[in-house]
Amino acid sequence: MKARTTTVGGGGSSWLRIETVLVVMLVVLLVVFGRYGRNFWTAENFFEVIRLTVEIGLIAMVMTPVVLSGGIDLSVGSLLGLCGVVFGKLWRDVGMTPLAAAAGAIGVGALGGCLNGLLITRLRLPPLIVTLGSYSLFRGLAEAMTGGVDNFTGFPRDFLFLGQGYWFGFLPAQVPIFLGVSMGVWVLVHRTTMGRALRVIGYGREGAIYAGLPVDRHFLVLYTLAGLVVGCSSMIYVAHVGQAKADAGTGYELLAVTAVVLGGTSIFGGRGSVQGTFLGLMVLAVLKNGMTLSDLPSELVGIVTGLLLLTVLTGEVLMKRIGKVGREGEG
Amino acid sequence: MRGFRREWGLAVVLGLFLAYLAVRAPGFFQGRQLLALATATAPVLVAAVGVSLVIICRQIDISAGSQFALCSVVLGMAAQRGVGAVGPVGVAVGVGALTGAVYGGLVAGVGLPSIVVTLATMVTWREALRWWREGEFVRDLPERFQWFGLEQTSGQWMVVILGLVVLVTGWVYATYFSGGRFIYAVGSDPEAARLAGIRPRRVTFWVFVAMGGMVGLAAFLNAVRFTDVDPKTGTGLEMQAIAAAVVGGVAVAGGRGNLLWVFVGVILLASIGPALVFLKLPPQWERAIQGGIILLAVASDRLVRGRAGVRERRER
Amino acid sequence: MLDVLLELRSVSKAFQGVRALRSVSFDLRAGEVHALVGENGAGKSTLIRIVTGAHSLDEGELWLGGEKVGDYNPRIAHARGVAAIYQQPALFPDLTVAENLGIALEPGTGFRWIRWGARRERAQGLLRRVGARIDPDRLVSELSMPEQQLVEIAKALGAGARVLIMDEPTASLTPEDVGRLSGLVRALRSEGVGVLYISHRLEEIFDLADRVTILRDGEVVGTHEIGSVDRGKMIRMMVGRDVTAEYPVAVEGRGGIRLEVKDLRCREAGIEGVTLHARAGEVVSVAGLVGAGRTELARVLFGITPKDGGEILIDGVSVAVGSPRDAISAGLCYLPEDRRRHGVVGEMSVVENMGLAVLSRMFPWGWIRGETELELATRYVKDLGVKPASAYAPAGSLSGGNQQKVALARWLAAGPRVLILDEPTQGVDVGAKSEIHRIVRGLADSGMAVIVISSDLTEVLGMGDRVLVMARGRIVKEYTRAEATAEGVMRSALVESGDEVCERGGGR
Repeated sequence: MKARTTTVGGGGSSWLRIETVLVVMLVVLLVVFGRYGRNFWTAENFFEVIRLTVEIGLIAMVMTPVVLSGGIDLSVGSLLGLCGVVFGKLWRDVGMTPLAAAAGAIGVGALGGCLNGLLITRLRLPPLIVTLGSYSLFRGLAEAMTGGVDNFTGFPRDFLFLGQGYWFGFLPAQVPIFLGVSMGVWVLVHRTTMGRALRVIGYGREGAIYAGLPVDRHFLVLYTLAGLVVGCSSMIYVAHVGQAKADAGTGYELLAVTAVVLGGTSIFGGRGSVQGTFLGLMVLAVLKNGMTLSDLPSELVGIVTGLLLLTVLTGEVLMKRIGKVGREGEG
Repeated sequence: MRGFRREWGLAVVLGLFLAYLAVRAPGFFQGRQLLALATATAPVLVAAVGVSLVIICRQIDISAGSQFALCSVVLGMAAQRGVGAVGPVGVAVGVGALTGAVYGGLVAGVGLPSIVVTLATMVTWREALRWWREGEFVRDLPERFQWFGLEQTSGQWMVVILGLVVLVTGWVYATYFSGGRFIYAVGSDPEAARLAGIRPRRVTFWVFVAMGGMVGLAAFLNAVRFTDVDPKTGTGLEMQAIAAAVVGGVAVAGGRGNLLWVFVGVILLASIGPALVFLKLPPQWERAIQGGIILLAVASDRLVRGRAGVRERRER
Repeated sequence: MLDVLLELRSVSKAFQGVRALRSVSFDLRAGEVHALVGENGAGKSTLIRIVTGAHSLDEGELWLGGEKVGDYNPRIAHARGVAAIYQQPALFPDLTVAENLGIALEPGTGFRWIRWGARRERAQGLLRRVGARIDPDRLVSELSMPEQQLVEIAKALGAGARVLIMDEPTASLTPEDVGRLSGLVRALRSEGVGVLYISHRLEEIFDLADRVTILRDGEVVGTHEIGSVDRGKMIRMMVGRDVTAEYPVAVEGRGGIRLEVKDLRCREAGIEGVTLHARAGEVVSVAGLVGAGRTELARVLFGITPKDGGEILIDGVSVAVGSPRDAISAGLCYLPEDRRRHGVVGEMSVVENMGLAVLSRMFPWGWIRGETELELATRYVKDLGVKPASAYAPAGSLSGGNQQKVALARWLAAGPRVLILDEPTQGVDVGAKSEIHRIVRGLADSGMAVIVISSDLTEVLGMGDRVLVMARGRIVKEYTRAEATAEGVMRSALVESGDEVCERGGGR
């Protein structure tokens, strides 16, 4: 028997269907937009799609293990803004080099995540509420630091390359980073003991404790890591748009969670995969890009996204119910 | 006694805060200023009442802002067509209740988690609205619309009073009517509720409908302050409402929360912004302070009650 | 003559092929206290659930007040005057006592004005009747278990129940509360209420009951007037069978002391000074009734509940067990009673479950290698005979017995020196049961000290080289294999507060 490291969770068949559904959806979208969209099927465009998705993508990727563990982090968007602002301040007002300032900003990201983690583990507060609070706190700090109006611009070309440059003339600079982080998160979730432990915690915190798993330690590391990744994402964001503003990242947490849940990860934890999130992300990105190139109003994207999420979830619930009726009487 | 420590702590904080303001920035308490502040806060109060009930029922609604915007625009358009002064209210509440029914159906009927449902609809309503209105304000509202056709001060008083009426009505219902108590029961232990003959799904459904209606009402109370309706209105309302609820002692785990303390929470959070202005501090600190207060409130709640892991929730 | 309030005629009930009740016939008259006794697993809970409508019956008839019952569920039962007080109160923790009573007793429409004053008064009245000194404005979450039980009783009283089922009502009450409750039961009896009284406290039964029905293995052994039986006869009827020689016997001799527990105390868990020891190669059975504190003891030993005092020594070395991780690294593992929630993660595969306790040991750098895991799992699947032999099947899809083997494998992989098994064959079919017994014997023979907590007397006697009996958070008696008899063990388990004696102290 060939060795596997992650198995398909419980309702086996219905889970597989999500991934396949997404792939099918993706293919359909690609075909449809290829037909109706302008310049859709070009290498340039594909790379642009990925470029545009990297910032949210990084967050969605790291949000996957958070949701898998049965938690959620609503503060990521605000943290993105905060890190950007910190970067701007360190570079412009404190006079650090972009590299040092970026390190500082990423450090702030990790600190923010760590704060979330501490409140969740030490005080046993639900992640939803803690991150709702830090959602306001981080955004507020960003606004306070910029006085609400200040934004930082004029970053050196070398730095902007990160967000606007191309490797070998065609590959957007962020792509390798995105792929790297995605692989890293995938490895974390699907090949490490921590990933395994997070899943178990998602399926039932008590069960994890009875198995001797260090639940608190994993949570702390996880949320800090999430903050770290958000910090990195904010650097790419700033480099991409060329400015650091306090309101950067507004709504990102929602998009990230949407991609994660769309990708088949259960909001309750335990079941899910990183590749699912990746697919969910791709579907959302292609949807947005394709619709724009097909001259459809951008608002429709949001509407379709919301409806898509609800439809997919409802379908899942109904399928599980049918499955349960068939499997009645099991221990 | 019984957790009173924590809520009275909130009152003490508010008291100290106001006392400080009285000394350092007495302008804050000037009649006209207070009235304007109260008027602007009334819609938040109404929304907070609705959200509190939802949270007490062990659910959540993070889309209040989008619901608000939707109701505002629709009611504005109804007012434009001259549906009179009462018509718009009905329209606003109706639209709100309808969106609430959608949530209720998905959460109680299908069984989707409310966080995901309201997350998805938050985006959907907002975008649908943007698509429909294309950012355009709803203008040319009839003169009799603003301030209920009264002059400004009277109109402001009306808004404030209506807000308080909603608060009191909500509180009375939640405290003195069995239907209201069922919300607490379901939030405390849905299984025990079922065994006691209460129907948790039905209660959940109606809580969402009620919340939607209240958001609609809040939209109305807000709309009468202006001569046009901004489709971007209500941004951040859900956070304000939830923050006020949490600060006011509503437990996210459900089953606990007193609307009167939510009122105190609303006042506290709403005062921060203007207070900063009057104290000549940078007003941008408002959100940071709010966030800090939320975290402090939940943390203190946990520390004071010492509930860390002690309470065993009976699982299904 | 006395009316028959409740009657069961040839009622049978099975769960997934396992028979819980077998053609049970039984009746409850008005103005009588009818006791129901039987050891754990005899079918008492199932019987109660059928009477309250929580479970449907497979065969037979249920008659209430002289009428056969058709549709039946808890709401209908409640409406027809059947009330039950369980050991786990179904109260609302965040609401006050007065409100809990109010919700339960007021008619259930949604638009009534609530008179809190009247609610409080009625609550106070009911609480007084039950003899509870509880402020009705207190939140239920602040009440102790006994207090919550009293509230439940008050609830049932208020509902004007004609049939009152009391399931171990005095389990955590002080002697004075017990006296008060007995007076209450007598008062109810004289009012014509029929009380179905389930208890292990034989003294109370002899004191209160008019008739007693003995259940054993899902069947009624007999229904007798209380005057016509004595303690000994009752115990014999409860226990009944001989211990058949179907258990594997120890091959090796006993080695040195592996586990030593000295005066272990934990208020939260209700452990009141436990001293015991277990040797390498020995299987120690721990018997006792529900609520005696066996699982709680295991939880303290395993580090789930922190101890207040006492010492735990493994192979002579004192260990500080602050968490399950500490316990595991000290060589003590625990197979929990609640298989579904704590034993096995149903949604994950057999492989993933088995390796869970040794993840950091198997993969010190954190990188999981599928082959290593698979090797481990394949070995245990073979050794323990897990069927189906598919390592990647979700654990939840296996039968109870096989799930238990998976759970066991998880701990075996950790190489424990002391292994505590809590109800290892509960919900397991006969075939798998004996397999598990054989495995456990083999573990002991290989040098482990194995402690088996069990409610199955046959298992306790068959497996145990020594038998410890627990009651009220203490070890009250110790038997060697030769001395232990079913009746003796049961008698010790039923010990009243007066004669708590730990006859054979541990630590030798």
